[in-house]
Amino acid sequence: MTQSNGTRRVVVTGTGAVTPIGIGVDDYWTSLKAGVSGVAPIQRFDTEDLYITIAGEVKGFDPRACLRRLKRDKVLPHADRFSQFAGVAACEAMDQAGIEAPIEDGMRAASIIGSGAGGLVTFEAAYRDLFIRKKKATHPFTLLRVIGSSAAAHVGIEYGIKGPTFGTVSACATAAHAIGLMFDFVRRGVVDIGIAGASESVLNYGTMRAWQAMRVLSPDGCFPFSKNRNGTVLAEGCGLLVLENLERARARGANILGEVVGFGMTSDAKDMVNPDIEGPREAMRQALRDADLSTTDIDYLNAHGTATAVNDVNETRAIKDVFGDHAKNLSVSSTKSMHGHMLGAGGGIEAVACLKAIEEGFVPPTIGYTEPDPECDLDYTPNEGRKRDVTYAMSNSFAFGGLNAVLVFGPPPA
Amino acid sequence: MDDVASKIVEILQKHMKDPDKEVAMGTKLEDLEIESLDLAMIVFDIEDSFGIEIPYNANEEVEDFKTVGSVVDRVRSLVEGSDASPSGAAA
Repeated sequence: MTQSNGTRRVVVTGTGAVTPIGIGVDDYWTSLKAGVSGVAPIQRFDTEDLYITIAGEVKGFDPRACLRRLKRDKVLPHADRFSQFAGVAACEAMDQAGIEAPIEDGMRAASIIGSGAGGLVTFEAAYRDLFIRKKKATHPFTLLRVIGSSAAAHVGIEYGIKGPTFGTVSACATAAHAIGLMFDFVRRGVVDIGIAGASESVLNYGTMRAWQAMRVLSPDGCFPFSKNRNGTVLAEGCGLLVLENLERARARGANILGEVVGFGMTSDAKDMVNPDIEGPREAMRQALRDADLSTTDIDYLNAHGTATAVNDVNETRAIKDVFGDHAKNLSVSSTKSMHGHMLGAGGGIEAVACLKAIEEGFVPPTIGYTEPDPECDLDYTPNEGRKRDVTYAMSNSFAFGGLNAVLVFGPPPA
Repeated sequence: MDDVASKIVEILQKHMKDPDKEVAMGTKLEDLEIESLDLAMIVFDIEDSFGIEIPYNANEEVEDFKTVGSVVDRVRSLVEGSDASPSGAAA
């Protein structure tokens, strides 16, 4: 039991979100509750000769309002879009947590902000310059923009975070691994506070070409668990949490939004693309054991739910294996139906959805659900969200390579 | 077996776990132990060899990708539609 063996309780005191359905947690959550889709024809580059032409782009992203306030990091205005997403989400989360830059006792703070693929948009632009435009040099910040740990570094510099600072990389489980590691660092006393999650912005021509060649994208939309689902939809964004040990948060009178209570991580060790049951199932079981909860304690499960033919059936089976009879009572939903698949950032933004579900007693829907699939037979909260008291929520993240990470969130400690 | 068919059989054999297995037009791809990721690579090779584009989606059961013959038929119709040919693409 995590709370009684000398380790500390870990609470969430800030959240930040940059998504295709809203910049800022309030707008994001309002869209989730209303069942708004952020999937639309791609605007930022030419898709003329692609046959997949939709994605979840973050619209109207203007980092200047946030970047103007930067006190310490002079480079973020010139960084890759994924780092700028992280900068904006970090400002929101730190503001909510009531923390000003530089943070007090920076050595006792951490920044773990991952990215599935880093600055691919910068890479493509640089290669166009070199190989097509035959330029003699790339932009001098190309290197700093592309490295996958740059979001963690930028946020760390701005907030004076001098403890563990790095990015995680586990494809679509990146953010969940980052939050899980931060949870562990704080409860074991490695640090007292930290910001964790992931940011992703890889929407460009080359990325669309690469995913199109994988044959797993839908040309129409993201319809998780529905019989007519025909693939996932790429998206971009960032979701970050401020985690803090309970005593510290109470001592400084912080507003506590919720608690991280459990984390599980496994690997299928089997196949790069086809998921297995054992890995996801054992990750969920580990997270429950870590939280010292039984299956019936979970009210809401934010599924990985990518809307690929294979994932949704496999995840449903794994959930049924873990939850048994209670599986039917769970409110499950895939918010990817609205914000699309933000790849590495998915687990961060979905963690925010879980915390809001607990706070407001409301389960966001799985939109685009038009046709029940006999192989996906749980309550996916089809098309309309609903009121339900949510005490504990689980968030699943399962990545290519068979990399699984599961988080469990609870209410603010009494 | 015409050029299109023999080129496709050659591509399939390159991706088969057991390339000595007999490949006929009526052979099912699943009997050749071709899985979804293999198929993504096979479709890529076919597109590259013939200079065509096949909007294949691994999430859907497609009749065109059931047997060797159905793949050949699909490619032949795309090749005829695009004036491309295996020799032309290789040039």
